[in-house]
Amino acid sequence: MRSKSILTEAKQISRAVALIGLGARLQVLESETDLSYERLLRLYKEVAGKSPSKGQLPFSTDWFMTWQPNIHASLFLNIHEYLNKSSALDEIDAVIKGYQLYLEETSAQGLEPLLSVTRAWRLVKFVDNGMLTMTKCSKCGGQFVTHPHEIARHYECALCNPPARAGKGKAAGAIRMH
Amino acid sequence: MNADQILTEIREANLSYLMLAQSLIRSDREQALYRLGISEESASLIAMLTPAQMMKIASGNTLLCRFRMDEDDMVWGLLLNHGKSAANDATARLHASILLAGRHQEAA
Repeated sequence: MRSKSILTEAKQISRAVALIGLGARLQVLESETDLSYERLLRLYKEVAGKSPSKGQLPFSTDWFMTWQPNIHASLFLNIHEYLNKSSALDEIDAVIKGYQLYLEETSAQGLEPLLSVTRAWRLVKFVDNGMLTMTKCSKCGGQFVTHPHEIARHYECALCNPPARAGKGKAAGAIRMH
Repeated sequence: MNADQILTEIREANLSYLMLAQSLIRSDREQALYRLGISEESASLIAMLTPAQMMKIASGNTLLCRFRMDEDDMVWGLLLNHGKSAANDATARLHASILLAGRHQEAA
């Protein structure tokens, strides 16, 4: 059995606490720390004051391709890439710090943060294993989440070329196009 | 504004900027690089500044911080949201944020 470093454990606990605070599902914590399931469960109850929600994680890339989620996911991923390019961060720390900045941006614009931290974490995994990527919009030049092999020359993003009925809803915190 | 006033105002703005930058860097270095749009090297230098050094750097006739969007017409257009309804302000601002977050080359 390998000897456990207390410092490493402390670091993992503080990461887990940050993730729980952001609303992460238990599966994220299990995957990103070496802490046992029992300890994570106890930690979750202590931090969140309730039991974690059960059930499978969303596993499909489809959600990221729908109109509003795609815009939210693109904002998060641009911030995440920025952090990764400007400093050397552990992968999970980049997700935590990037997600905090994403929350700030959406709240500053009065928008509902549609992207959960669990989805943000999944998104980074999807990009890492090549199931999703970013493509430059031919109109505004911004980078947006797309399937791989999108034809870059003709690609127009969800904000430059929204679908016909997009952004007409009146729900508070939704992205509007009038 | 006379020349003295200009110098005073610039020094005040520089000092506020440096103090804010230093506290952002000290509280979360990586997020500060994103917020400030500066390189890791600049961040290390700013983090180490003493109050006396800050005063020295702040005085002068030029500002230390500059615009992030330079002459990017697309970003300016979205930020100002010309001729569009107020309902779509937040959307345009969000679009600008996506474009600005994608510009990390300048940070290096």
